Amino acid sequence: MRIRTTALLLTFLGILVVFNFAHTQNAPEASEKGKEVYEDSCAHCHGVEGRGDGSAAENLLPKPRDFTRGLYKIRSTEAGQLPTDQDLFDIITDGMPGSSMPPWDTALSANDRWEVVAYIKTFYDGFKESENPPKQITLAGKIPYAEQSVETGKDLYVELGCVECHGNVGRGDGTSAPTLEDSWGFQTWPANLTQGWNYRGGADTEDIFKRFIGGIAGSPMPAFEGDSFLNFGLTTEESKRLIELENKDEMTEAEEEESGKFYEKMDAAVDIALTIKEGGEVSAADIQTYNDAMKVVYEKSWHLANYVKSLMPAKRPEPAIGNNVLRSQYVQDALPPIDDAAWETFEAKYFPLVGQVVIEPRQFNPTIDGVHVRSFYNDTEVAFLFIWDDRTQTTGDETDETTGKPLEDALAVQFPVKVPQGPTAPKPYFLWGGRLPVYLWHWKASAPEQVTEFTAKGINNAEVQEAQGELKAQGIYTDGQYKLWVKRALKTDDKKDLQLEPGVFVPIAFSAWDGANGDVDTKRVITSWYTFVLEPVPSSKRFIYPPLIALLSVGFLFGLRAFVQRKNSENA
Amino acid sequence: MKKLSLFTICLIILVGSWVFLRFVIGGIISVPIPGSVIAMYMGLIVIAILVHISVEDSLFREFRRPILETLVDDKRRLHRRVLVVLIPLLLLGYTYSIIAQRANPPGSPRDAHPSPPLELTYKDEVIGTMQDVVNPFRHYEKDDPEAFKAHVENGRRVYHQNCFYCHGDHLDGQGHFAPYLQPLPANFQDPGIIPNFQESFFFWRIAKGGPGLPAAGTPWDSAMPIWEDHLTKDEIWDVILFLSDYTGYQPRTFGEAH
Repeated sequence: MRIRTTALLLTFLGILVVFNFAHTQNAPEASEKGKEVYEDSCAHCHGVEGRGDGSAAENLLPKPRDFTRGLYKIRSTEAGQLPTDQDLFDIITDGMPGSSMPPWDTALSANDRWEVVAYIKTFYDGFKESENPPKQITLAGKIPYAEQSVETGKDLYVELGCVECHGNVGRGDGTSAPTLEDSWGFQTWPANLTQGWNYRGGADTEDIFKRFIGGIAGSPMPAFEGDSFLNFGLTTEESKRLIELENKDEMTEAEEEESGKFYEKMDAAVDIALTIKEGGEVSAADIQTYNDAMKVVYEKSWHLANYVKSLMPAKRPEPAIGNNVLRSQYVQDALPPIDDAAWETFEAKYFPLVGQVVIEPRQFNPTIDGVHVRSFYNDTEVAFLFIWDDRTQTTGDETDETTGKPLEDALAVQFPVKVPQGPTAPKPYFLWGGRLPVYLWHWKASAPEQVTEFTAKGINNAEVQEAQGELKAQGIYTDGQYKLWVKRALKTDDKKDLQLEPGVFVPIAFSAWDGANGDVDTKRVITSWYTFVLEPVPSSKRFIYPPLIALLSVGFLFGLRAFVQRKNSENA
Repeated sequence: MKKLSLFTICLIILVGSWVFLRFVIGGIISVPIPGSVIAMYMGLIVIAILVHISVEDSLFREFRRPILETLVDDKRRLHRRVLVVLIPLLLLGYTYSIIAQRANPPGSPRDAHPSPPLELTYKDEVIGTMQDVVNPFRHYEKDDPEAFKAHVENGRRVYHQNCFYCHGDHLDGQGHFAPYLQPLPANFQDPGIIPNFQESFFFWRIAKGGPGLPAAGTPWDSAMPIWEDHLTKDEIWDVILFLSDYTGYQPRTFGEAH
């Protein structure tokens, strides 16, 4: 009896395993169900015919995928190959972080997602025509994350020219960053490699590695293929030697010859790679040459993946919502200047910025992810350090076509003029005030040493204050990142200024503009209200009362013992 | 096995009750219980224990015996030494944690669905009283399913060109801008939203947006735009049809419209 139950259970488990295994491989045949789910949940962006032209597409960038060309960014397959069904399923399940494609893991059942996979494949005939399953990238030779590998990857990052788009330290601020277009001619920004939470297709080292080998189809990101990879056909050492030779001002004859041999070797390898790609005949020796060369490409890609992984924090910083308050730290002496190490001694608060879509003109496709803020204060002044990533430094050389105003990078910090008293007291409207005014600090990239004070009663109703206080500011742009330092007195004589006092919770909000993204006036990125406080110096009572109470309790215990002892002896 | 003393049993009941309230009920079974509620229950349990041990003299003597023993008995010297260190240390830590606690901002109370005005308006035009106004296209659902479908489709378009950034592709309030807005955008898949309000209420919330809320709804925090500035009256009614059609929830009605 028991054996039969066990057998039954095992069979059941077996069926489950087989069933799941089957599902991790292939989608079902396309059906009416898939069409129905697609039209209900996907068509508004990707279009009824899968052309990426749904009603929402107009305002979106990156554009929704056009399924009719079979170009898929995120794949586990080699360059030029179609994605596997599982790849498509995973993208639908996890979404495309940093874009408008959400994860569908809760909104659609796994079955529905598989039906959709089957249905979107019908938009491109290539899926039907290809006889062999797409060739998957092998992860077998993984080089584990280690300092040495990261260093090697860092050198490759420069050698391979990653810097040109992704910038010196990976913030997507390379010189060609603003000029990039995808295969459909739409503008596309290179990834900010320091923001792992925005990586489409995941930020694990394996994910990054797959992007190198498979490329990001339809985008300017190349695949590391034989015919395009730097110094393809040379070993790592040979490649290093060649770069060394080429960096010399003048080569000796012997060196000329040496480099010439390297070039012959490379040309031969590229020829073989092209022949293989086009399906031509190659000898066994050629295949060996090709495989050896590809092995180097794979190795280098792992090093590079490890380097890219080293650029990002483990996860997106937590936004400062609710009780997670921006606290200004008290210092007795002068406030630290912009480059002081003191700023690094505690973690910044992170304020994610979202597109301003309330008032026209609106920003539907923000390029600034958020702003890191730290603050110190002493008995008379308060200083802030704001840090945010922006791929381009724009200082107003170009003007916006519709408004005629200069396009430039900027940041504004917003406080109420008067701190609301009590939890139910009204605050000014979070978009630069309304009936109740807000007090603003407005900094622009064209005047990096200056912060202008504004009073605003609405996003289109801001006025420069007549009396400009003694605000000090310093703004620096390096490698795709702005650092802005601002200092002001806690108290001012101006009634239109916010007066600061330790321990008082003050609403705070931010606006930022990326000139290169067309941000001007209301078109910008914003936050809701958050909270700021000059953190009071902790009460010295904390060193007096607790020991006192501990001491009293010891006294009480001894007293009690003496009392009981006396009673006992009386009774005896 | 040695029989447990009355004092130990009481101690076990006390600690056990706290663990049960804090971690079993407030963790495994349900959401965490507020500290004040736990304190109330613990107070009741302490009173029950006190009542129990003070019913008879013998019980009370039995209860205090281990305490007295620990205080004076030579056999319990070790217990005594441990306790005379442990108790003051615990008190020290507890008082310090209370005094050194950082102040947090006061929470701001917010009514997510405050009362609407009596009259429904679009810009300055009065449409009617909040209770009587119905969606002018709702009747197509029965009278002309084709026309109804066209209105729903138009609502779908309006929604995906304007609303999905915050309220999400799936109308679940999880659009890609949503996580960083306070308050969070409404979730129309929540069964407590659409069935609880008339369509005129939705029209009011859409047309007037965040700034149109009464003070109880903290109009200064909401990122909901004033949609009458961007959308026509018909577009708003269409998008309301789409909200209920997509989610399958019917808005509340007050009998037959005239």
